[in-house]
Amino acid sequence: MTTDRILKLGRRLIVASFFVIALTGCWDRLEIEERAVVLGVSIDTASPEAEAEEDEVSHLQGSQPVPSKDMVRVAVQIALPGRIPLGPGESGGGGKGSAGQTVWVVDVVGHSVDDAIMNLQQQISSRLFFGHLRVIVVSEQLAKKGLENVNDYFRRNSEVRRMAWMMVSKGSAKDLMVAAPKLERVPTLYLMSTLDEGIRMGKFPKDYIGIFWSNSSKKGQEGFLPYVEIKKEQNVEVKGLAFFRGSKMVGKSNPLQIAGYLGVKGINPAGYRVFVKLDGAPSTVMTAAAHRSSKIGLRIRNGIPVFSIQIAIDVNLEEKMGDKIHINDPKTLRRIELLQEEGSDKSYKDFLEMTQKLGSDIFGFGEIVRSKQPAFWNRHVKSKERWQEMYKEVEFEVSTSIKIRRIGMKGK
Amino acid sequence: MEPKRHITVIETASILVSTIIGVGVLPLPLFAVNAGDSGAPLITFVAVLFATVGVVLIAVLGMRFPEQTIVQYGETIIGKWPGRLGSLLVIGFFAVLTSLTAREFGEVVVTAVLKKTPVEVTVIVMLLLAALSVRNNLTTFSYIHYFYFPLLLFPALFIVALSLKNADVQNILPIWGNRPVGVTRGIITITALFQGSFILTSVIPHMRRPEYAMRASMVGMLVAGGLYVIIVAATVSVFGAEETKKLLWPTLELAKATSLPANVLERLDAAFLAVWVTAVFTTLLSSYFLTIQSASQLLKLKDHRMFSFFLLPFVFVMAMQPQNIVQMYQIIELVGRIGLFITIAYPAMLLVVSILRKKRGERVDDRSNP
Repeated sequence: MTTDRILKLGRRLIVASFFVIALTGCWDRLEIEERAVVLGVSIDTASPEAEAEEDEVSHLQGSQPVPSKDMVRVAVQIALPGRIPLGPGESGGGGKGSAGQTVWVVDVVGHSVDDAIMNLQQQISSRLFFGHLRVIVVSEQLAKKGLENVNDYFRRNSEVRRMAWMMVSKGSAKDLMVAAPKLERVPTLYLMSTLDEGIRMGKFPKDYIGIFWSNSSKKGQEGFLPYVEIKKEQNVEVKGLAFFRGSKMVGKSNPLQIAGYLGVKGINPAGYRVFVKLDGAPSTVMTAAAHRSSKIGLRIRNGIPVFSIQIAIDVNLEEKMGDKIHINDPKTLRRIELLQEEGSDKSYKDFLEMTQKLGSDIFGFGEIVRSKQPAFWNRHVKSKERWQEMYKEVEFEVSTSIKIRRIGMKGK
Repeated sequence: MEPKRHITVIETASILVSTIIGVGVLPLPLFAVNAGDSGAPLITFVAVLFATVGVVLIAVLGMRFPEQTIVQYGETIIGKWPGRLGSLLVIGFFAVLTSLTAREFGEVVVTAVLKKTPVEVTVIVMLLLAALSVRNNLTTFSYIHYFYFPLLLFPALFIVALSLKNADVQNILPIWGNRPVGVTRGIITITALFQGSFILTSVIPHMRRPEYAMRASMVGMLVAGGLYVIIVAATVSVFGAEETKKLLWPTLELAKATSLPANVLERLDAAFLAVWVTAVFTTLLSSYFLTIQSASQLLKLKDHRMFSFFLLPFVFVMAMQPQNIVQMYQIIELVGRIGLFITIAYPAMLLVVSILRKKRGERVDDRSNP
């Protein structure tokens, strides 16, 4: 019977297909020790002379042209298998403070990020694996030239996670790869925890690479990145925010202005401290913010968006410089509140003005216009470029309300 | 083969849901934002309504002819040869749809996970799996869907719910979009993602109570359409419309950007892909089944199994036709648009003619008999 034959054939095919299924798993088999797990990447600009360092890996003189004379220097931090202690119990070698212990830092030049990575792969036996990439550091110089190439490469790569951090370094980015802070065994994890802890202490907003990308893409918003510097004990200071306009860095803030950003956005927990000076140096107090909230209102006046920003901050008094004032008096507390309100108002306004001058709307005021006043947006703004111009003209009305809630364990 | 009537309403609904949810979920938010930026969820919702119209037509037809599939009642309604031509189109379309589904699956897997595996292998494995599974009868077929349905729906909802941690409502405002361009095109493309629902025509003749086909299809569309709208809303509210436009598979990126609480898993794309492979399998199973069952009914064969391996090489060769991923998506959009004539316009025409000619199938008498 024919059906019998078909059944037989079917059975054979079933067996054959099992082979297929069993065999396919092996194409992408890659043992963990055959991978070069990249934990961190730094990207610097390199001078055109650096071309002499490079071999023709991804291009040939003449036939495969190079894009431009601009070169980048890419350094990667590769985890050394077996050297990274897996728990607190394993106390390994310890002591020596060099990055050479748990990771291997290799640097290479190239005409683009991918070119450099290819040059690097040519020099390293194992396949580079970006699935655990946690930190990408770019130098200020490169950020000012524009990050189109960097953003494109890492967005296209399916292994890179959107939870990685990207940061802009003052000076050389490679220094942050080589640095070995003593607190963490793995240097990039230290870099990462600097920022992650910053979020938890209210010192830094959530700004993973994915969030940076999303914000830079939005029509009414610009991205920003943490601006960091390496200090003499190989510790890392968060020096402020690096403002972007499109994919070009256009400016930077100082550390306290991060608090300005957090305050305007009303991000919690709050974690910055400021001085409040009551009649002269001896009676200065320091307050620590504990909770922020903000409300942003929008209205259109004479064809210009006007934002009214109401910021409310709960603070605790932390320190007093002299004995002249007694803070167990509600009147004194009220005076401190009023003085701080005044100071905050001014600092918020200055900060907003600064971003306006740069045409870099890192707060996303444009997005508020786009979502709340679509008619106005569709008629007058439409594009990102137009908003970058209009942002310079928008007006802000800032009012801050400070409430001192606690004064610590001391009565006076 | 005596048609046994024991597919329940809930099984029918789950067949619909797991058939509809397939490869399309990955590029879905991209289609939606390209049509209406922040209005993407609304666009998706409208597309769901259109797709529902198509399903309703099939359900009404199925209830008029509770003993027959579209291949059989097509001949009754518009005559032997026109009916056969229509069936031929249905068969051809679903064969193409099967091959494109397999190819799209292969492309995603090769791009995102198994980079060194040849795309031919991922495609053929999936097709073989479908070809083997369709050799079962419709009862087993419906059990397969019924079994996978919760495994598919709940993890997907779970991942979407977790992703909302990073969501910002501002991104999906204004709900009608700022500058919607190509809304019609977007709606058509998304409606085309629901074409798997055509499987209903094969299921109704085996339902225990065909008169409940409408209820089943409503439930199915509500769940599948609801999930689609939720996915689009979540993706756009997490990334923003402009960023979504830059992503080839925004839903996969959403899973990548989502982590379990306390960072137990920092990215859920692997988990999501596992769910998605199941979803693709059930979709492929349905379109493959529909193709071979319709083909065997057209040729008046008793058993549909004969075609299962006969069709395989054709489907495989068709799947390998697109030269690159950009061309593949162009073809998918084009085929989807053409398909709407077959999955919505053709049943609509049949229904109108059957009402005008007062044609009706036999009623099912013994309802209690399982």
